[in-house]
Amino acid sequence: MTKNFGGLAAVTELDFNVSEGEMVGLIGPNGAGKTTVFNLITGFLRPTRGKVLFKGKDVTNRKTHFITKTGIVRTFQATTLFSDFSVLKNIIAACYLKSRVNFWEALLHTPGSHKKEETVLARAFKIMHFVGLDAFKDQSARSLPHGHRRILGIAISMAADPQLLLLDEPLSGMNAEEVDRAVALIRKVWERGTTVLLIEHNMRAAMNLCQRIIVLEMGRKIAEGTPEEVKTNKRVIQAYLGTGKHAA
Amino acid sequence: MNKRRLLKALSYTVPIVILLIVPLYIKQPYVLHVLIMMGVNIVLASSLRFIATSGQFSLGHAGMVSIGAYTSALLVMRLGLSFWGALPLAGLAAMGIAFLAGYPFVRLKGIYFTMVTLFFTEVIKLTGEEWRGLTGGVAGIIAIPRPNAIIVPGLLNLGFTSKADFYYLALTLVVVTLVLLYAIESSRIGMTFLSIKQSEPLSESVGVNTSRFRVLAFSIGCFFAGLDGAFYSHYLSAVAPASFGFLLSIYVFIYMVVGGMQKFSGPIVGAILLTLVPELSRGAKEYEPFTFAGILLLVIFFLRGGVVSLPERLSKIIKKEVWLRLKSAG
Repeated sequence: MTKNFGGLAAVTELDFNVSEGEMVGLIGPNGAGKTTVFNLITGFLRPTRGKVLFKGKDVTNRKTHFITKTGIVRTFQATTLFSDFSVLKNIIAACYLKSRVNFWEALLHTPGSHKKEETVLARAFKIMHFVGLDAFKDQSARSLPHGHRRILGIAISMAADPQLLLLDEPLSGMNAEEVDRAVALIRKVWERGTTVLLIEHNMRAAMNLCQRIIVLEMGRKIAEGTPEEVKTNKRVIQAYLGTGKHAA
Repeated sequence: MNKRRLLKALSYTVPIVILLIVPLYIKQPYVLHVLIMMGVNIVLASSLRFIATSGQFSLGHAGMVSIGAYTSALLVMRLGLSFWGALPLAGLAAMGIAFLAGYPFVRLKGIYFTMVTLFFTEVIKLTGEEWRGLTGGVAGIIAIPRPNAIIVPGLLNLGFTSKADFYYLALTLVVVTLVLLYAIESSRIGMTFLSIKQSEPLSESVGVNTSRFRVLAFSIGCFFAGLDGAFYSHYLSAVAPASFGFLLSIYVFIYMVVGGMQKFSGPIVGAILLTLVPELSRGAKEYEPFTFAGILLLVIFFLRGGVVSLPERLSKIIKKEVWLRLKSAG
């Protein structure tokens, strides 16, 4: 898969796969093109060349909402939430796919739509409990502390019922205690059977969580393997620390 | 609990009953005319806010009113339809055009969407001026017949020869519009509009087809603008392109912002208050845009939430004052 922005190659001939039930890390220095990869997978950007396959189906060039329906859901690097809504309402709004009713049902509050709303509410409570935000139920998303906002971001993506969850730097800006909680949560989500692809700068957490790690530099894959293999890979060390020549 | 319900029911019925008996006591045609225009503006401002709940600011409302007005006038005069058949068709015509134009429009976001709706209004106005065979050009259409009489013996006798009859029609239009808009806004669909307003990428990410919902909000809002246009043309019995320029769109926008966009009641209050402005400054007609612009600026600078946020603001200030007094008193 390749993505060019004008003449600039953001991602070049990248090819990788994630198997069901895996937790894979996507790492690399700033500007390596990690978020671009997410944008390409979820339809926010269209690849210049190449394909995105999910469960054998070609989802290249499809709209984001369609890709979400097939089971790939992402979170955002900048904490993107429904800021004016309360925590609970954020999750309810994110349960959109589970609560779809047609126009007239929604308008007339038919018994069918009423029942659906109730199941959605129960589901939202469950997710809120799962991520541990019960205590903040009625607080507006805007007023949450940073760490909790990121957790809410994960809760929102869970509400969309992902089979493959793309987490874009879920731990950034968190203090040590928040990192521990978030790592435990990500592991819990994964243990439930959700496949996870994770972008992360926190190396220790990424190495700790993932079975496999893909390293990008300047839009190219320079290494792939288990955390152990990647850690000792020469090119990876070069990418992160420089070649030594310039540093001298 | 029951008492509360009763109070709530009363809070809706009492104003409606008062509004229903108004023409029995107020006979001056001029006052009734102002009340009717308030109704016309309430429908416009409320439907504009409805579109805005999905994060879109439209300046296409004047164009939509124009489409409704011409559709209804032409259906009645050329095809001999009854006004009561032409009225919903006028709304549907505006809605249909909003739907078709909506898909290319919603590819644009924020201010770019607003600009293209503004051009839309101008295009409709120019079409009205140039398509003389259909629209009568700059002179427009005159002698549009009044709505067909509704007579239910012993109960209802609306001949639409008096202002009072038009007043009742406008009141019905306002009530129907507000009830429907409120129902949609408080449904799941309204919630999805709000989520799109807060973050389009996130909404898309949880599976919302945001283009479709934005077109839906735009089309529904325009439906009511079309209805309003039909009413307007038969009430004034004339239409001309000059009445539907971009200034009308801007005025409706000002009604909404001055009343307050955050609340459902905002555009209603804004439309009521600002309909009075031209009436109070009859002698200074040419300065009207200045007056409106001045009011808009004052509200934006000093009362962000609009007039409807005033009680909340005042109570906050008073509470603070009382607290300070108590503190200084020891």
